[in-house]
Amino acid sequence: MNNLSLPKSFEVLEPLVASWSLPTQNARQQKRINASKGELRAFYEAMLPRLEDVLAYVDKYPLGELPPEAERLFCLALSLAEVAPHVELYGGDPKVPHSFDETRFVADHGALAV
Amino acid sequence: MNAPAELRWAAKYPELGTGPIPVEPCVSPEFFEEERQKVFMKTWLKVGRIEEIANPGDYKVKKLAFAKTSIILIRGKDGQVRGYHNVCSHRGNKVIVESGEETFGRNKAAVVTCRFHGWVYNAEGALVQVPEEDKFHACFEREKNALTAVHTDVWEGFIFVNLDPAPSVTPLKDYLDGIGSHLAGFPYGEISQCFSYHTYLDCNWKVAHDAFAEAYHVATIHAGSFPNVFSSGLQNVELFGPHRTTAICLSLKNDPTPVAKIANALATGSLVARRGASMLPPTVNPERREDFSFELSVLFPNLLLHISEGIWFTHQFWPISHNRTLWEGKYYVRPPKTNSQRWALEHAQCLQRNAWLEDTATMEDTQTALESGAKQWMHLQDDEVLIRHGYHALEAYMEKK
Repeated sequence: MNNLSLPKSFEVLEPLVASWSLPTQNARQQKRINASKGELRAFYEAMLPRLEDVLAYVDKYPLGELPPEAERLFCLALSLAEVAPHVELYGGDPKVPHSFDETRFVADHGALAV
Repeated sequence: MNAPAELRWAAKYPELGTGPIPVEPCVSPEFFEEERQKVFMKTWLKVGRIEEIANPGDYKVKKLAFAKTSIILIRGKDGQVRGYHNVCSHRGNKVIVESGEETFGRNKAAVVTCRFHGWVYNAEGALVQVPEEDKFHACFEREKNALTAVHTDVWEGFIFVNLDPAPSVTPLKDYLDGIGSHLAGFPYGEISQCFSYHTYLDCNWKVAHDAFAEAYHVATIHAGSFPNVFSSGLQNVELFGPHRTTAICLSLKNDPTPVAKIANALATGSLVARRGASMLPPTVNPERREDFSFELSVLFPNLLLHISEGIWFTHQFWPISHNRTLWEGKYYVRPPKTNSQRWALEHAQCLQRNAWLEDTATMEDTQTALESGAKQWMHLQDDEVLIRHGYHALEAYMEKK
């Protein structure tokens, strides 16, 4: 086990951990903004087939009480929540098309950690 | 000449007229100054929620740039929320040092202390302690140096202030009147998880406000985030004095996207899903239409309050100058019980944030274009009736002596 490992049966997603298993919404948003269209698509396609399994797995634990490996897996799913609209709705664009400058929105709820 | 289709709102509200709306109220510094005095200094304005200052001694300081002040909202030991100007009676320092637009704090004894010379005020505003009080002159009376109170009241857990310095003003309940009853009883306090954004927009507060007060823009502005989701037409428009309300309905011509479908099954977080109507007040969506998405209500002058099954959200527009506005968007959902619900809410919140990024995209361009002077009038269609009513309500306040 190392700091990139995921729970058993999710090992196939381990190559995504370093880039996408990010602990706060701010970090996930920044990662999405700075990713390429191809990176978003590849991440989405790798995650989508396993999404329901991931959500069932994290529900074995009470809210907010995930052990490190499960938390890494959960952060991947949260990155998918951030990325999905861009692939499913915005034609793969890493930015929201025709939008206000995202950096000018101040999130008063903070960084939103897991 | 245009040959209009069925104009139902013009027929229902003939007193609003059908003519174009002047541009001047959105671009004129003189109009702004009068509006500031006649509207914003004279009406009840939402400044918080009771959950933000849940315990005795909790306080919130809210900056109100248009009034060049900030207001301390403090909960007393008696549970009451009261409001005061954040100005010390001594030499006028801010009693509570602020950080940003909103500052939160707590004092177990339910007092606030000015950092400058240590004057202490209780939650009733009374000056209760003055260091070296015996060195003040005979004309100084502690009893007469309370904090300057601001009319403060609570409706459905929303804290409102009215900055009118007059000793008495129309009570909040009477001010809200019909809209207050229409939106009462919704479980605002239970749906307590708040996602909150703010930004400064280089536009008049009405340019920002009006952009959110119709569904006509959805097909174009939200072609990205909400494709074929909402109907442009309004349902159940009702006017209550200066306030107004409408139902926004779903068309849902598209199937949900794969990730949205999984999220919608887990938690009520997204407006883009058919949901029941069990928690809505009886006058909201009275026919219990299946396509109802949310109620869009305007509490005059600057609050949009929306309620929906398991979700509520607000937009508020704080004027800074004739072409600058502080926008605050707050989206409330039920706190998640499981990790998967937590995930579903994050998905809903990201989509909603993105939709708001789409909404705010036009506002500064609109202001710049209006300030060119190229146009003096704006034409409104029938389903922009809330905007039309907004200008009528504003005009009524502006004409008050």
